[in-house]
Amino acid sequence: MTDNPISYFFSCLFVLAAHIAMLANVFINGNYDSITSVIVLSCAVLILDIAYFVFMLFFRQSSYTINFLLILVLNMSVIFQSCFGGVYFSVKHYITAIAALAACHAGYLLCRDYRWLQQHRTFVYIGIGILFIAILTLTGSRSMWISIGSFSLQPSEFIKPLFVLACATSVFEQQKKHRILCFNVVYENLAPLALIILICLLQWWCSDLGSLPTFAAIYISGFLLRICYPKAKFSKKTFILACVILLAAALAAMKFAPAYVQDRLHTDIWNNTDGSGYQQSQALIGIASGGWFGKGPGKGFLCNVFAHENDIVFATICEEWGLLYSLMMICVILIMIAVPLINPPRSYYHGTMAAGVCAAFTVQMALNIFGSCNMIPFTGVTIPFISAGGSSMMVSGFMIGMLNASLTPTIIHRKQRRQPA
Amino acid sequence: MNTTNLMLCAVSAAALDICALILILAAYVERKTSTKKWRRSTGGMELAEQNAVYPLDCDEILIGRHASADIRLPDISVSRYHAMLTISDGLWVITDIGSKSGVFVNGNLVQRAILRENDVIKVGTRRLVFRKRRDKRDR
Repeated sequence: MTDNPISYFFSCLFVLAAHIAMLANVFINGNYDSITSVIVLSCAVLILDIAYFVFMLFFRQSSYTINFLLILVLNMSVIFQSCFGGVYFSVKHYITAIAALAACHAGYLLCRDYRWLQQHRTFVYIGIGILFIAILTLTGSRSMWISIGSFSLQPSEFIKPLFVLACATSVFEQQKKHRILCFNVVYENLAPLALIILICLLQWWCSDLGSLPTFAAIYISGFLLRICYPKAKFSKKTFILACVILLAAALAAMKFAPAYVQDRLHTDIWNNTDGSGYQQSQALIGIASGGWFGKGPGKGFLCNVFAHENDIVFATICEEWGLLYSLMMICVILIMIAVPLINPPRSYYHGTMAAGVCAAFTVQMALNIFGSCNMIPFTGVTIPFISAGGSSMMVSGFMIGMLNASLTPTIIHRKQRRQPA
Repeated sequence: MNTTNLMLCAVSAAALDICALILILAAYVERKTSTKKWRRSTGGMELAEQNAVYPLDCDEILIGRHASADIRLPDISVSRYHAMLTISDGLWVITDIGSKSGVFVNGNLVQRAILRENDVIKVGTRRLVFRKRRDKRDR
């Protein structure tokens, strides 16, 4: 049971209230043929809410805030996805939302004991290796998907949480230095560097360059935390050198980028509204026509544009629900990843892990939103939990579980169990 | 869109806003509980010097002269990174991490030692007492 029943009760109540208000908006403003679709959607959302509130009571955690924010965002996403182009119940997205909740608890259970994780770090590298082989053998050099029957998996998505774990480190591990020639080397620092180089090469090979900034953000957060503390080699020279290397890498990437990337970098969407600028120009028109309060659930036209439910999902939500609501949705996700700032992790390993997750989520959201608004080239990266897609939802769920684990480390539980005896 | 619909949009946006606010407040409440739990499970210990007290609020604590050390002892006799305090299964352990002058617990030179209440740790010329945490009003 929870330690703060009053806080738990009110959190449940307000999450339910937020969803009921959304469903009332769908009922009164929505575009639907039959009331049955609204009733089915409402029942599915409220049942999932209540079932999850009851289910969470069986897990003794120090913090439930992330769980509440997760269910809030997931059911918001189910409502959004069920309203694109007319209200209907999106069963597929509902199932992936449940899978994301399950993945969150898997992530929580796996990552709360960081000493265990460190002892089994080899399995993280093995997991990344298996995914590399899967990408090399099962996807083509121009594709990033593995098709199994009617399902498609994106194996590069699954590398993200493993890479976050590979970049996480403890202060104790940072003290284990090995002498190679005249350098003091920490093996744990070399592994993420080798991995990011391999990931870059692999992503280049399978033309999934949109994910590269996410991996780069995870690596940079791990690198910065390592040079700031505990080694404290965060000098101005190191910082400038790191910036110069990063800038050179970015310039080289732009210079030698494939033709389709060059095209996206230099395209003028308003002169090319039927070609490569089609999605972004439509997205901008959609955002503008939605205004502050939107056209109403299911009344937008962006549902006719390709990838409206994942790549330009922000614009689709803006059109139907309004810019105000869309920005608040982004705020809720930002609050979810900012919870470790309110309730900081008790170990450095969990801190670096949480930083990696936050970096990945922030960059993903920025790429999607700024891409939709034509502020940067289109990347096709998803907004965690909001965009449709099983791989993305499950991986995002797992990563939020990792974030949750950092707030409830095992050390507390071990001692707590002993006390009654 | 008519006024009722606009009102409804505003209400649903406000409900989400209030919900987010309540969850932020809940996070602050949980922070207090979490801190209490941490102190209970780690014995609520602290390191005390003559004029300073260092709470042990995370599970790996670096002691040293360097600015980035968690417990900074700006004294030439203390190495930049001198010792490290870790906790495992409710027991605090001090480990010498390659210091020049060594770590002494109750006068004995140690490489690694389990700490007990009121142990005196000597790091360079600095003496620290490992003791139960005292509330401000007790001091």
